[in-house]
Amino acid sequence: MKWVTWILRILSTATFAYMCYIVYNQLSGYWDWNAPYTFIVTVFRILSLLLFYLCVVISYGVTAAVVGGQTANTLATGIYNSLILRFWYLQPYGFSGPMTNVYQVLALFQSRLLTILWQLYDLTFTFLYFLFAGIGIAMFLQSLVRMEHKFVGGAFLSIQAIMIAAAFRGLPIYGESPIMTDFISFLTSGMQILALVSFAYLEVSYQMIYSYSVGKPVEDREETLKKQLLALRSATRKQDAIERGEKITSTTTSRWSGATAFSFLREVIERKVLGSREALENLDAISDVRRLNIYVDELLTTNPKAKDELTARAAAPSSTYVITSTVTGSVIRFLSVVVLSFILMNPVMVVSLLRLPPGIANSVELRQPEIVVLLLVPVVLLFAFVAATIRWLSKSEIEARIELAEKESKERERKKRELERKRKIEEARKHKRKPVARRGEVERDEWDAALDEIYKE
Amino acid sequence: MLTKRGFVVVFGGILLLTSGFSYTNFYLTLIGVYLLVGLVVTLPLFALTANVAGIEVDRKLDKNKVFSGDFLRVRVTIRNTSRRHFDFIEVWDQYPETWILAIGENFMASRIEPGSSITFSYILQARMRGRYYLGPTEVILRDRLGLHYYKRTLKARTEVLVYPTWKDVRRMEALGKQRQLGRMFGAHRTKVVGMGTDFAGFRQYMPGDPFRLIDWKTSAKRGKLVVKQFEMEKNIQIVCMVDSSGSMGNGYPENTKLEYAIRAAVLLTYMGMERKDLVGTCVFSDRVHAFVPPAMSPNHMYDVLEALAIAEPRGWSNFEAAVDYVTRQVNKRTLFIFLTDLEESPRPLLNAMKKVIANGHRAQIISPFGPWFEAPVGQFGPVERVLAEAVQEELWERRSKISKALARFGIDVVNVGPEDFLPVIIKQYNLAKQRGVALY
Repeated sequence: MKWVTWILRILSTATFAYMCYIVYNQLSGYWDWNAPYTFIVTVFRILSLLLFYLCVVISYGVTAAVVGGQTANTLATGIYNSLILRFWYLQPYGFSGPMTNVYQVLALFQSRLLTILWQLYDLTFTFLYFLFAGIGIAMFLQSLVRMEHKFVGGAFLSIQAIMIAAAFRGLPIYGESPIMTDFISFLTSGMQILALVSFAYLEVSYQMIYSYSVGKPVEDREETLKKQLLALRSATRKQDAIERGEKITSTTTSRWSGATAFSFLREVIERKVLGSREALENLDAISDVRRLNIYVDELLTTNPKAKDELTARAAAPSSTYVITSTVTGSVIRFLSVVVLSFILMNPVMVVSLLRLPPGIANSVELRQPEIVVLLLVPVVLLFAFVAATIRWLSKSEIEARIELAEKESKERERKKRELERKRKIEEARKHKRKPVARRGEVERDEWDAALDEIYKE
Repeated sequence: MLTKRGFVVVFGGILLLTSGFSYTNFYLTLIGVYLLVGLVVTLPLFALTANVAGIEVDRKLDKNKVFSGDFLRVRVTIRNTSRRHFDFIEVWDQYPETWILAIGENFMASRIEPGSSITFSYILQARMRGRYYLGPTEVILRDRLGLHYYKRTLKARTEVLVYPTWKDVRRMEALGKQRQLGRMFGAHRTKVVGMGTDFAGFRQYMPGDPFRLIDWKTSAKRGKLVVKQFEMEKNIQIVCMVDSSGSMGNGYPENTKLEYAIRAAVLLTYMGMERKDLVGTCVFSDRVHAFVPPAMSPNHMYDVLEALAIAEPRGWSNFEAAVDYVTRQVNKRTLFIFLTDLEESPRPLLNAMKKVIANGHRAQIISPFGPWFEAPVGQFGPVERVLAEAVQEELWERRSKISKALARFGIDVVNVGPEDFLPVIIKQYNLAKQRGVALY
């Protein structure tokens, strides 16, 4: 199975690279490589500026109240001149000086703040392209190693997010003009190629994860069994060594602690440690490990198939079948998606079938993207409905059998409970209740009364 | 059914679609359509192929009856009897919560071709006695991309009876072996002189003795008539009355009074069988749940174990009904060993004991003392400790009264705790053997 996964891994990398390349080309001229740095610096400067003005206002107010207006004015303008102009170098953001009056400082701040914010807004989009691209590539790399769907989905959405951000900015990217009505032109258009490559990336990556995960449980089982047996043998050896009064080497100890991943041994160890109060419990724990060791050894020697069954080696699917079905499944899905999408995105075909009045057929609404909803919703629901109908029609016999068996068992249980209830009522009637002591009487212990009766006899 | 992944795809599709609508971008709309159509396009095909009726699950156990603490191998075979392949099938075989998964995994995921089967196995340790069920088996069918799934529960449960633990017997045997005294270590043979074939010795001839018993050679040596004496080992008959009322279930989960009583009963039966005594068992609470008459048959031990395995602490103790039932079944002189916490009204208990004695049987009560089985006083705070001690004192006083009352019928009450429960039962059995109580 591994080579199938590797092939799909290469294909996934290729499709992802091509998808990224097309997106990169689409936004060529907008990838300003200094943008991330400038963006971060601007954010920090604007934050510093806000903090500065907050401090100036507070300190100016407090100083003016205590030592007089002129000193405060000098202090505030002095800080502005040295901090804003010399240290932070905010001249590119429209700050000039030096200032002599605090009111000039405040007026300048008010006038420049909006300019800086607008610059930041502009920079944000370029920064976002880089950010999405970075996240996309990181997730793609993770998906190749970890083989999890969330990374594939994340990589796909991140790259598409670049296109969303670009569309929001109104940049000239694919999709500004309506879909071609000719199928061949539709297929060969740049927009269609990017969409196909993006979809292919998802499809191939999901198939890659499938081929990996379908063989993985068997490999995992084999690995787990190996670890469990190793832990078991080490534990038994350790016990033997303790019994012989030998010193335990660090290797043995580490193996023993490594065995904590193995639930049975962990349980046994816990019992031994926590139950140290009782020597018998320790004995039980040790005996359990030893008995398990003997049991497994016997099983493996007497039954040659036992190991294969424990690892479920026979369950590993054949690579040829997986690759064949992957190719056929993907091709079928691909073709059906392309054809269906073409039909959905081109309402002209349906409109021509319906023979609508020219006013509607040539209306501008038919050339808007929203028109896709007209057919998309019914088609999607139709598929779901067909699937539900098939499920309903082919409701498994076995399910019905189980339901029947459950009903029977419930009925038996109910009858049993009813009988039990009746019997209990009967018994309770027979069973004499303890007489309640009357008021004023001293309650007498029933055993004293019983003893008295015996003595009387 | 959509998986989480499926929902993420739906979310992505709608996000792209709405982005396309908002910015009038056909590319975003198209990719949104791709995602949504790609999600549903294979759904009917999956519904058609993922018909669980084509899957058969078979669960096989190495044995259906095991001792508590024993290991059990479970083999699960999944067969695809249909003509379709299942791209991704996950199988979860459930097992009781109290059991421990010792080796392997109770889970398998793979692809299964038409007409083929996959088998996996795992080893469990049965922890507590009782009737348990393995299963049901849960089957989850997923499509290749993991966007849709169907979940079904297949294969009814398989019953497994877990006998009480055998470790006490093992321990006793090991102890015997260690001391090199064999299994009869500490046992006392009950002998009756006069009959049998085992030579016991000589005695002086008494008028009426059969002539064939005269040992002429010894008589000649001694100068007076001497007869040979023979002896025969006699065995005793015991019925172990295990009280399974609700109060017997108090204590730590695996160390309740009932659990100890059951372990004691197992040990007693085993010892009895080893020494050719007849030991029966009765499990009762407000009615007799199970009664295994004293016997020597090869399967007797298993009958007893089965009766004890299913004992559950519930109801109240109806001693009269239990004694009435057992005395009707047992005709010979029998020693009744009651394993009860004596937490019921005295009158029925005394009546029951009277009946035992009146029928010519003997009785003995081994009674687990409640507070000793519950939380140790050392774990309590000062207030709880005082309260616990007060309760303990009162219960102890009650115990003294019980002992006094039962002593009138010659019935001993031995109060036991978790540590001395099993040694006491061995001791009492040996004493009974020594004294020749309830010979048959």
